[in-house]
Amino acid sequence: MADILDILDIEQPGTAEITRDSILHGDKMKKKYVTAKAARRPEGMHREVFALLYNDNKDLPPLLPTDTGKAYKQTKAKLGMRKVRKWVWAPFTNPARKDNAVFYHWKRKTDESKEYPFAQFNKQVSIPSYSESEYNQYLKSEDWSQAETDHLMDLCQRFDLRFIVIHDRWDRAAFRDRSVEDLKERYYNICGILSKVKTNPWSNTVTMVNGEKRVYHYDAEHERKRKEQLRRLFDRTKEQIEEEQTLLAELKKIEARKRERERKTQDLQKLISRADGNSAAANQTAIANDGMNTPSTVSSSIARRHDRKLHKKKLASQQRPMRAIETVTVEWSGIKFPEARGTGVWLRSQRMKLPPGVGQRKTKAIEQELRLMNIDVAPTPTESICKHFNELRSDLALALDLKNALTSYEFELQALRHQYEALNPGKTLTIPPSICNTSAEADTKPLGEIIDVVGSPGSHNNTI
Amino acid sequence: MSGQTDYGPDSGGRVKGLVIVKPIVYGNIARYFGKKREEDGHTHQWTVYVKPYANEDMSVYIKKIHFKLHESYANPNRIVTKPPYELTETGWGEFEIVIKIYFHDPNERPVTLYHILKLFQSPVNESAPPTVGRALVSESYEEIVFQEPTLLMQHMLYSVKPITNGPWVHDTNFEEKKEKTLERIIAAQAKVRNEISDLKEKLHLAKETITKFKEEIAKVQNNPPSSILSAI
Repeated sequence: MADILDILDIEQPGTAEITRDSILHGDKMKKKYVTAKAARRPEGMHREVFALLYNDNKDLPPLLPTDTGKAYKQTKAKLGMRKVRKWVWAPFTNPARKDNAVFYHWKRKTDESKEYPFAQFNKQVSIPSYSESEYNQYLKSEDWSQAETDHLMDLCQRFDLRFIVIHDRWDRAAFRDRSVEDLKERYYNICGILSKVKTNPWSNTVTMVNGEKRVYHYDAEHERKRKEQLRRLFDRTKEQIEEEQTLLAELKKIEARKRERERKTQDLQKLISRADGNSAAANQTAIANDGMNTPSTVSSSIARRHDRKLHKKKLASQQRPMRAIETVTVEWSGIKFPEARGTGVWLRSQRMKLPPGVGQRKTKAIEQELRLMNIDVAPTPTESICKHFNELRSDLALALDLKNALTSYEFELQALRHQYEALNPGKTLTIPPSICNTSAEADTKPLGEIIDVVGSPGSHNNTI
Repeated sequence: MSGQTDYGPDSGGRVKGLVIVKPIVYGNIARYFGKKREEDGHTHQWTVYVKPYANEDMSVYIKKIHFKLHESYANPNRIVTKPPYELTETGWGEFEIVIKIYFHDPNERPVTLYHILKLFQSPVNESAPPTVGRALVSESYEEIVFQEPTLLMQHMLYSVKPITNGPWVHDTNFEEKKEKTLERIIAAQAKVRNEISDLKEKLHLAKETITKFKEEIAKVQNNPPSSILSAI
């Protein structure tokens, strides 16, 4: 019950707090307790806080001070030491109004003499005027009658050039309906003409810049187009918007692909120019070998379209030894020595260093060949020796590659022959003996069982 | 060196298209003591050198030459600033000497040569022990190429003077060596070219044969053996 009273802010003298005693001992005890109680809850102190300080067994309040101020509650912040200024309910007139209407509003007593402050926002547009003769002289138009023009000017004056309103209030009974653009066009046209013929700066459509008149030119055609454009944009259906979105996404994809393609073409160009730098011998070999399929990991389908021969010309000096039976991969070239550097001092012998692309295996093989031919692996470096020595080693590298290729072809031939013999027992195919030089084992098959598959007419070889 | 002051380090930039070649000879001579020296075990006296191939004073354009010896030598970085660009030492072993040539022109980077110091005749001949007193020479020919030198460098390179009034000869007859080497290389080139065209022909043939073989196999696979026989 005390809670409710508390909430309702009804002070009831003699009302006891709910304590354990009062609950346990009933009303009798309560009465006694109430009388015995000396401490009263101070004004404004919350009940819960008071209960903490004065509990049922009447203990003393805590020794430590819990409050420093005189009162329990802090005094309210003192804002503004001045005396309150007076407000008065006063009449006022708005200079913008012409009817002298008087309204009332609250204002400070000190401001009473001042003018209505919002009057300054009442901006008047100055609309040009013209006389009868001026109209006839300058402003005549096939499309606009003078009455219509007058009506327009009147509306402009009335509605302060708010053309949307003017358009709305247009006297459609008297004149034909005109678009906002038409109205604007006519109005600004008149302004322009009048600003030229009259000298006084009568209109806000004329601004003085460095003493020079500037007339606002209204581009009606542009406005019409702009609005048409906006209307169309607004009128799009959901489907059309979606279609546009998909098309944009497509375009992005196409452009990405295009860039990718260009990048690849550039790479290819580099590759081609590098390959072109190879010796002519390598080129011939590549052409002679064009019929072979040469799968290349690097090549893409685009690259293939560009130049099929390219695969063979690729500078892959570190080609693994080829496996038989499977499609033989043959890539060869000579050695491409770096081009002469720009400027500076260098040693001739540096030109004879094999480029780092040439592998250890190949380097060893070339040196071996040189030794067999009794040529110093580091000959006296003169310009001509340097040139010829490099050419020689390039040729040697090419020869080695060709030999390897021939060996792999031979393996393939043998594999094919075995395949044939298995399919067609008792018969065999002849590998032209000249090819077999590399393996040095002569083919000694009985002549009767040899089927010549090579010596067809038109073929330049003569093996039977 | 006198002309150096006339040209600033950046005067005029490089001379387009000009290439000046200065042949040099570098290497070492070595003499056997005849016995192992008691105090340090050294067996040879050797001299490593860089000298012009032609009779000219290289100090006009060479600022200094840096010889880097084996690290077991006291003070292994030896710098020679004027001709003769050589260095004499004693030792018992062969090692690689790094020779770095610096030029007066600050725009040019130094060039580096590598020379294996040679003390012993190779192959070591048991029957002919190292002869005392007679020098062993191991030298190489090299060409320093000045590609588009600066005006300063050009001036220096053109104003070389003979280093001696007497004859200027080398132990090795490089002219003969050059000629023979070139001949051999050109001959080898012709041989290899032949070989290449031969190989290409063979490859062409091999390729055709492979195609034929494949056709034959296809025939056998598509038809019974009897039809093949009739085809033959």
